[in-house]
Amino acid sequence: MIMPDLRALVALLCSELLIANLVGCGRAHRAELPTVKPVASVFEPLQEDLKKSYLTLFEIAPSLEYNEAQIARMREYLKQAQDFCVGRFEASAKDYQHTVDEAQKNLKTKISDDQRHTLHCNIQDARALKSQADVISQHAIPVAYANRQAKLDLIQQWPAQVKEIRQSLADGSYKSRRWSDVADIGFREIERNQKDDIKTGQEAIRDLKRTGMMPMEVEDKAVVNYVTNLAQKLAAKSDLQVPLQVTVLNSKEINAFALPGGFIFIERGLLEAVEDESQLAGVISHEMSHVVGRHGHKLMKRATIASIIYQAAQVAAVIFTGGVAGIGTYYALQYGFFGLGLTLNLALLGVSRDFEQQADQLGIQYAWNAGYDTSGFIRFFDKMATKEGYVNGASWFRSHPPFYQRMVESQREMMYLGKKPNVILDSAEFKAMKTALTAVTAKAAEESKDKPSLLAPEQGCPALTKLIYEPDQPIEAICAAPQTKLTAHTGH
Amino acid sequence: MIADEAASQEPAAGAKTETVSLYLNVEKNGQLISGLLPGNFRLTEDGHSRTFRLEQPEEPASIAFLIEQSTSSSYFLEDIAYALNGFEAHGIDGHWYALATYSNMLEIHTDFTKQRAAITQQFAALGPPTWNEIDTYDAIYEMLDKMSRLPGRHILVVVGTGVDTFSEHNLDDVKKKIEADNITVFAAGIGSMLRGVYDPYMSSSGQMQLIQAQAFLQMLASKSGGFAWFPKMSVGFHDVMEGIMQSIATQYRMVYDTRIRGTGKFRKIKVEAFRVVNDKRENFKVLVREGWR
Repeated sequence: MIMPDLRALVALLCSELLIANLVGCGRAHRAELPTVKPVASVFEPLQEDLKKSYLTLFEIAPSLEYNEAQIARMREYLKQAQDFCVGRFEASAKDYQHTVDEAQKNLKTKISDDQRHTLHCNIQDARALKSQADVISQHAIPVAYANRQAKLDLIQQWPAQVKEIRQSLADGSYKSRRWSDVADIGFREIERNQKDDIKTGQEAIRDLKRTGMMPMEVEDKAVVNYVTNLAQKLAAKSDLQVPLQVTVLNSKEINAFALPGGFIFIERGLLEAVEDESQLAGVISHEMSHVVGRHGHKLMKRATIASIIYQAAQVAAVIFTGGVAGIGTYYALQYGFFGLGLTLNLALLGVSRDFEQQADQLGIQYAWNAGYDTSGFIRFFDKMATKEGYVNGASWFRSHPPFYQRMVESQREMMYLGKKPNVILDSAEFKAMKTALTAVTAKAAEESKDKPSLLAPEQGCPALTKLIYEPDQPIEAICAAPQTKLTAHTGH
Repeated sequence: MIADEAASQEPAAGAKTETVSLYLNVEKNGQLISGLLPGNFRLTEDGHSRTFRLEQPEEPASIAFLIEQSTSSSYFLEDIAYALNGFEAHGIDGHWYALATYSNMLEIHTDFTKQRAAITQQFAALGPPTWNEIDTYDAIYEMLDKMSRLPGRHILVVVGTGVDTFSEHNLDDVKKKIEADNITVFAAGIGSMLRGVYDPYMSSSGQMQLIQAQAFLQMLASKSGGFAWFPKMSVGFHDVMEGIMQSIATQYRMVYDTRIRGTGKFRKIKVEAFRVVNDKRENFKVLVREGWR
């Protein structure tokens, strides 16, 4: 047990204290395109299969006929492609930082107001490009490739797994799994003393507010009431033993997070992204499970080094779309804080994977117990990981999340639970919330359009340059071209 | 429209011009006067009469609070608390509000928001100050610079002692900056009570530093068309904030066109306000920026 902890510590130091160059943590990425690739007759259809949803793959995997060698070659290809791609974006981020440094040096010289204005414009443009390149290399690319690898795992391993699951169902051994006592939800005990976390949660909220990291709340009663009612309905069918407090934040981030003690935050962007009530129920149940399992509390106890360096609130926040790092990433993007290393990689401490899987299992149980279609959780997860995950800058999943395990374990739990009759997929209330949300979003967009900002870009500059990446664009399209400079375009 | 034909030196047709907005308050015996018409004003720029029009001040205005927060000023926290309390009670809905503090550097805590409570809540949530430096000149310079890039009407409310300990910018830099940027500054000078108590025991250089600090805040206000108050008691800051909010609510906006010279030379502004009642001219005091460059 000592070795993993040591590795975790070194990795934490490397990634969080930004001393990679001093202690030799950094390494060179490959400079050329992948050299290992399955033959075209395998590569093309396999690429297509990897674009399919998890639910589809669960169905078709047993009928696919790729052999071990083909899969291994594809796996190596993906590994090399990821390495090449990360290297390109890291190099670009360095170039952009160099541009910033040079411009800042020039600011200290005797220059006219016009020249100063031009330099300000250049700095803000290069900073924006660096942030984008950082996010792409640190989050988007790893997530995109982890997702591909997970689907490759699924194609390879699911046929055997599904047989095993069916066998467990047939012989009843599935009943001996952890937390199989679903008939006793609400009366069993997952973790004692949930109420002890209330104070921690309150402090975390205060910290988030104090540091200006908590977005404003949505005030629209129709939206807030709907989300609160849904959460309370789920809480009534869960193991939650503390009062639930739901807050809807007026932020375009596709995210939700739980703080210890029963505080759940749903961001507006998430409400916009979910397609039906069962998806939202899946997310809320998942977050509620973090509270039930006292994961925030455990993270804070285990992550003592991180606690010294970071705000307790950031450590305590367990975020749906990205574990703990999500909130740091979000605000890093929002305010260009990347240089401060606000993205906290708690997976390096080896604690969050288990918690995510626990929350997946319990979340599915609670949604099931409340009568919802449990596939809503996987459908939303899939949507986020495959489509939005690397496109929407603010909603990255955690780097290297164990997608395959999470998907398989979720699917396994769903199969063990079985489908209840007349499961809820959607509701009239959900649709009414969506309608009300449109007005909230429009108002927020209108306000943000006119909102002055002390942190705003220099006025009168050309529109910021953006690195080109589009929804659904395969990661290969971003990574394949061996250009020295990344493609960028002006405008929004 | 008002035109003083005799002394007018309006820009010639075809000359390159720019439009200048002046934000002003009119008062008589400490009472703000609203509802005046163009005929109640006279404007001169460098001694020459100018044609102008009165327009509605832009709404919402961008109002930023810049609050001194260093270990050296921690004795005056009560003054600040009363000021923010006054803002909470009398702040005007609909404007944009921001909060920044300074000690050895400027820190922006709340970027512009229309939720007034966010300002007071944010300040209340700030931890104790860490540094004892008070780089007032740098902080004000930087805030003026940031605000000058914003569109519309902007107002800076400074709550501080005015003392500067370690700025890179000097007084002259700030003076030029306030002349160049069209931002109304209101100042609430903290620490007057303690200053009064300890004044007899202070060295002459210490007394001089405090006098200079007070004069600095007054200079900011008078150059920009705002005012600076130095309440002797903490509770007075509540009233100061009420006064600032009333001033913002009753600002006039005087707009005129002038020729672009491109020299950066300071242009002196004078605005007279008056009312004729029973053939008797009643003059008012006008708070307006001294000029611009």
